[in-house]
Amino acid sequence: MKVDDAVPNEFSYPGLGEIFITNTRKFINKVLSWGRANSLWPLTFGTSCCAIEMMVYGATKVDADRLGNLFIGDSPRQADMIFVSGTITKKMARRLLTVYQQMPAPKYVVAVGACNISGGLFWDSYNVIDGIDRIMPVDVYIPGCPPRPEQFLDAVKVLQKLINENKTRGGVYGPREI
Amino acid sequence: MGEIELNIGPVHPATHGVLRLKARVEKDTVLGGDVEIGYLHRAMEKIAEQRLFNSFFPNVDKLEYVSALNWEILYASVLEKALGIDIPPRAKYIRVILAEIQRIMSHLIFIGAFGQDLGNITVFTWALRERELLMDIVEKISGGRLAPMYLRVGGTEYDLPEGFDSMILPVLDRLEEKVNKDYKAVTYENSLFKMRTKGVGVLTRDTVKKYGITGPNMRASGIERDLRRSEPYFVYDSLDFDIPVEDAGDSYARFMVRIREIQESIKILRQAVRALPKGNYINKQPWMFKIPPTEAFVRQECPRGEGAMFLVTDGGMKAYRLKIRSPSFYTVQAMPEIIKGARVADLFTIIASLDPVMGEVDR
Amino acid sequence: MDLERFRERFGDKVKIDKNILTLADKKDLIRVVKFVSKYFDVLYMLIVVHRPPKFELNYIFSRYQDQEIIQIKVEISDKENIASISNVFKSAEWEEREAYDMFGIVFRDHPDLRRILLPEDWPGHPMRKDFVVTEEIKHWTGLDLKF
Repeated sequence: MKVDDAVPNEFSYPGLGEIFITNTRKFINKVLSWGRANSLWPLTFGTSCCAIEMMVYGATKVDADRLGNLFIGDSPRQADMIFVSGTITKKMARRLLTVYQQMPAPKYVVAVGACNISGGLFWDSYNVIDGIDRIMPVDVYIPGCPPRPEQFLDAVKVLQKLINENKTRGGVYGPREI
Repeated sequence: MGEIELNIGPVHPATHGVLRLKARVEKDTVLGGDVEIGYLHRAMEKIAEQRLFNSFFPNVDKLEYVSALNWEILYASVLEKALGIDIPPRAKYIRVILAEIQRIMSHLIFIGAFGQDLGNITVFTWALRERELLMDIVEKISGGRLAPMYLRVGGTEYDLPEGFDSMILPVLDRLEEKVNKDYKAVTYENSLFKMRTKGVGVLTRDTVKKYGITGPNMRASGIERDLRRSEPYFVYDSLDFDIPVEDAGDSYARFMVRIREIQESIKILRQAVRALPKGNYINKQPWMFKIPPTEAFVRQECPRGEGAMFLVTDGGMKAYRLKIRSPSFYTVQAMPEIIKGARVADLFTIIASLDPVMGEVDR
Repeated sequence: MDLERFRERFGDKVKIDKNILTLADKKDLIRVVKFVSKYFDVLYMLIVVHRPPKFELNYIFSRYQDQEIIQIKVEISDKENIASISNVFKSAEWEEREAYDMFGIVFRDHPDLRRILLPEDWPGHPMRKDFVVTEEIKHWTGLDLKF
């Protein structure tokens, strides 16, 4: 078996049926991505200081509702995305992973704060994970200690752009490598 | 027969942080329970032995993250007592002003979270709106909203900005008007709120004395004690304020004590801003310094009770042992005894009215 | 607070220095603490300092009617255990559990001595001076812990 056998060595122009099916498929994907991006419901999860800024993000001065981010997802089965805010310790890691696995796909993860990017202020502590991308796939990182509430708006806009271009780590059938 | 164990787990939209409560329930009454903590243990005390003295200030902020400057003031006081230095009078007034501003902010979050646990989202949005005005002032002073690393050994890092009284006095007027008028109708004079909180979660005086509970929870059970009055530090002995005390010991009393404390803090702030002296704001020390072998113990009144720190040094540039006493640790220890006999739906009212913050319980 | 009554009651088993009482022998701890409980209400803090090879325990007691405190110091060696005072002061239960968790000191007659802040199968006692935080501990994710 030679490698050349895997490459098709015939080229034919696509027929009308193929063009129709491909364009319809693209159009349907665009509509579904538009729907998913504009109504992301986050799970109410917060451990420590960054959770206070997330509460301010959900209140009235910086409004989360204007982008479709309603904080109704009290149960993981109804949530689309998760803002992981607050330090994650080794005792809490297993519980976070259980909650993440209970969410139905497609799901997206946003890591908030320096503690979740690389350990942050507690990098030399014996009980803190340095970065949650050791245990789950992350789409957007928000730096800061703690970040301003307006940065959460920025993160959601970036996530919407990634969803519309189909470049996220959380795909329709589960997490994937890109 | 009929006794089940209800697990209110660490991931829950209503508990104040990551607290796990395993309650034993029969039909609709709670018979007792077990509390499990440690989901936010970040090893602050070991980090204090690995960093220089001045590099530990950002970590102290994150202990009680709703009112960070109170713990920074405590850590700076313990270092000054170990070194044996004094601070100038203007620095003392600035510390009192910042401590009272943070106390009001902490009580506003309590009002908002308590209302949200009962289902009252209106007061949650109102309380956060008032807190934003105070946070703008803290940001103009120090540059950070939730984590201002503003204190140094011997005073503060920068001076207060110019025109400080014209910044803060209108905010205090507006706060007083809102707390006395608007919040009344949705919280403490609302008949639904009173029905849900009166007689719920009674904390007797014997329980308070057995477990060592301090702060507004203790004052709502009839014991009159406040460290700002009995052991005055900084300039509290020249300011005029009252200590609010209630007798009933239930959730309604704990709520009313904190509302009255906001009013007293507004009084203190108006006097302190008027009496602010001019002069030096820091007694400057070198950035890296050594402390001779000694022990130092300081305690102050934090928004949740009496906080204390104990420092042991050995002549080097890092601490040998720093122990932090947090007031919420003792409140959470007493929780299994307070929830006995309550109904299942009242569990969250009781937990919210005790106001624990898990950052300082686990350290 | 006048500590002369301690000197009359216990003689030369205690050494007094401002408001710090140092016990010569750890076996007298329960008797001294029972005498303290007549004047003080609650255990305020328990501080353990590891000066290898000894542990130094500092108990600080306080009361509600005024601002007096008293500090009691005891020294034990690495391999001994010490009596628990949680039958006299109820607020000592969780403080002693934390001392066991962080340093490995065993308290006799404690009603429920187990780990409080770290999970139960965490290896080692971290606040001792011979526990050094290595690179391997920093990168460990803790997903294989059972508790």
